[in-house]
Amino acid sequence: MRRTVIILRRNPLSLLGAVLVAAVVLSAVLADYIAPFPEHRGSVVDFVYFNQGPTARNLMGTDLVGRDLFSRILYAFRISLILGVVVLAIAPPIGTLVGLFAGYLGGRTEFVLMRLTDVFLSIPPLVLAIAMMGVLEPTLMNAMLAVTAMWWPWYARLVYNIARSEREEGYVLAAEVIGASTLHITLREILPNCLPAIITKMTLDMGFVIIIASSLSFLGLGVQPPTPDLGSMVAEGARYLPDSWWLTVFPGLAILIAVFGFNLIGDALREILGADQ
Amino acid sequence: MSEVLAIRDLFLRFRGYSGVSEVLHGISLDIRAGERVALVGESGSGKSVTARIVLGLLQELPSAQVEGGLFFEGEDLNGLSRRQWQALRGTSISMIFQDPTSSLNPVFTIGTQFAEVLRRRDPKLSREAADERASTLLQSVSIHDHARVLGAYPFQLSGGMNQRVVIAMALANHPSLLIADEPGTALDVTVQAQTLKLMHELVEQSGTAVFFISHNLGVVREFADRVFVIYRGRIVEQGPTPAIFENPGHAYTRALMAAVPRITGGGLPDLNDSEAAFLEPMVVHEGGDA
Amino acid sequence: MSAVLRLLSRRLGISLIVLVGVSMLIFGIARVIPGDPARIALGPNATEEQVANLREALHLDDPVVVQYGHFVADLLRGDLGVSLYTNRPVTLDIAQFLPATLELVLFAGVLMVGIGLPLGMWSARYRGRWPDHLIRVVSLLGVSAPSFVWAVILMLLFAFFLPIFPIAGRITDSFEITRVTGFLLIDTLLARNGAAFFDALWHIFLPAFALAVSGIGQAARLTRANMVETYDRPYVEMAQAYGFSARRIAAKYAFKPSLIPSLTIIGLDFAAMLGNAFLVEAVFAWPGLSRYGVAVILRKDLNAIIGTVLIISATFLIVNLIVDLLIAFLNPRIRHSERGAS
Repeated sequence: MRRTVIILRRNPLSLLGAVLVAAVVLSAVLADYIAPFPEHRGSVVDFVYFNQGPTARNLMGTDLVGRDLFSRILYAFRISLILGVVVLAIAPPIGTLVGLFAGYLGGRTEFVLMRLTDVFLSIPPLVLAIAMMGVLEPTLMNAMLAVTAMWWPWYARLVYNIARSEREEGYVLAAEVIGASTLHITLREILPNCLPAIITKMTLDMGFVIIIASSLSFLGLGVQPPTPDLGSMVAEGARYLPDSWWLTVFPGLAILIAVFGFNLIGDALREILGADQ
Repeated sequence: MSEVLAIRDLFLRFRGYSGVSEVLHGISLDIRAGERVALVGESGSGKSVTARIVLGLLQELPSAQVEGGLFFEGEDLNGLSRRQWQALRGTSISMIFQDPTSSLNPVFTIGTQFAEVLRRRDPKLSREAADERASTLLQSVSIHDHARVLGAYPFQLSGGMNQRVVIAMALANHPSLLIADEPGTALDVTVQAQTLKLMHELVEQSGTAVFFISHNLGVVREFADRVFVIYRGRIVEQGPTPAIFENPGHAYTRALMAAVPRITGGGLPDLNDSEAAFLEPMVVHEGGDA
Repeated sequence: MSAVLRLLSRRLGISLIVLVGVSMLIFGIARVIPGDPARIALGPNATEEQVANLREALHLDDPVVVQYGHFVADLLRGDLGVSLYTNRPVTLDIAQFLPATLELVLFAGVLMVGIGLPLGMWSARYRGRWPDHLIRVVSLLGVSAPSFVWAVILMLLFAFFLPIFPIAGRITDSFEITRVTGFLLIDTLLARNGAAFFDALWHIFLPAFALAVSGIGQAARLTRANMVETYDRPYVEMAQAYGFSARRIAAKYAFKPSLIPSLTIIGLDFAAMLGNAFLVEAVFAWPGLSRYGVAVILRKDLNAIIGTVLIISATFLIVNLIVDLLIAFLNPRIRHSERGAS
């Protein structure tokens, strides 16, 4: 605890990270109350104010059908966060189990599980998700599925490396001697030693999941309109550069701010938990 | 008064998050040409930081405050620029570290590292000439298959072999002061004894003064001409080696010696931390001092 | 040297196993496609008979295992089937589009290593002081946005606002360069056309830099972290105690040992760029494999999807192999070990 305070004091950037993340999360949760035009999250058309730069009425300008960009960005944070949280609720447990059993049991289990992991890891991250979205319908659910499929192997690799070295430790051997079950040893003895590394990776990954998810929708393979999504907003606006610059710049900066916030927190956490990998 | 090194009233403080902590509370110490002087104490007593202050390494840390007089061959080190101080290192002052194997770079051959050390004195030295000189120096530490050793990486050599290499490197540029920070503690006892004996012979031949830092009283008794005992950042006793060992004056020194009879000399045991007697004033043995 | 050869053959073996796995995975994913691929390919106006013929030709009525068998047999003959989108053999399409992507990614890789490593080195040398703080923040910003955001921002700044770089394409149309390797930077040199070479360089710089931004940040962060750890090692203190200059310690004595653990991750970042090329090519209208890939995915063109993913994965495996060799070359422990690396 003392160390935490010291690190936070020494590193004011982690405080900035906390502020940014809090702002993003609050915008997403309270979008209905903050957004000047909550109804603009859907397919609304307002040709009086269409394609306008930032004004007092529309802080970040309006899009091609006159919707308030600021309002849409707030709602887009919601989609990004939901996707990030769901992926990070599913992928790490799957990867952790695979890594634990492969690392502790060794032998044939290790070979099969880790080669399977290698297969997933040897398709460049985004490419696997793109290919999956190519055959699946582009919905939020499927985007989560595709990102999860490319994400679990990283946790499998991480936990596997720890479990393999812990396998030889005294406390594991002691548990084996008194006849503890495999399940007990992996989940109750080895898993707690992997947790700091897993948690640190999860914080750092929140930003990366947001990046991958927005990349999918940038390519038109993610959440579909009219649902507001930062990636598809940038893609749509990119066609109108440089004149309607606000269409791309603000959603782009929104991604940057959210991910930067999570990365700052992740970095601080890594220092505090001392799991520098 | 041909002092190679003189330390006068040296203070060291670290600025930390919980305020300033003082590590050295004004220690004074001097080493004359060709003399072997030991600084003895437990870990954390401040002996290793003293060595690093003499080399000017600690002063480069933003969190360290160093105060006090530092004189090398009569020259005031405090007045030196970073560059001038750097010029002294590896030429006039050199150092041997605790663990020879980990103090050699794992990804360069001994030959490459040796050439780098020799070029401190002679920047234009060719690699061939460097290898030739290194071979001669390795022979002086009884390494006879020098061609193999020069082409090897540290992990391919034994700890004792690396220790000899490090000694040869330390003396390569004929320094007038060699700082030895617990040399060979990481090695097994017989190897340690052998290499210390070797070092002893070499410094005697070359007339190099040695600042010997140790927690091993057995080794100190064998090796040093004079001894300074350090306890919690203060010198508590100083004098010629025989005088201190035959007639330890300070309570802390006596406690150290009482604890030592283990022949292996594997280091000092934990002494009872807070004996009031340990904080008594310094005991100075005269003799061998003028 | 034989230790390195042993390592190479072992890694090659593992890579082949993994590649077979990748082909199964991709084939599996492609076969769960909803709807009838033959119907999708031929469009709603085709007759039932035409669809049935195509299903027959694509072996779509056989069990999946048999289909996979046909696929592997064709693959071994260098046949990835015909793209339903371009009506050309997939291998031809890939041969046409892959060089542009590889050129972009390789150039970005050079930028990543050439900028990221020195930044990290510098940061570690001045750790705790302002150059370090600055580089850390900048490199964290670099990894905090997808490459399409960097592409858009860089394009806005340096192609529109300050019109220094071209907006799109690989080369000005007026240059006619005979295609030899497909790498314009090489082909222009082969044609001894200096003006065209610099034109191609001028075109590739901005997209490659946009692609490299995250990688630069990642490489700088990693190099810094590993070097800071190395700075605590006794051998760096020894180098300092022997008066080696701070610059020389940073560039040689602390850098090389910390490069070895960094390289694996740098290889992975390079792989990430293969994926991110999809995003950057879209922004800069770069005529590469990724644009082809997105086009065939949107049209559910099975053969082309499988071929594209397979070729990208194979490229990735080759890169990893090269990285492993590089590590073996740099790390004397592997080079001189009796049993090869574990």
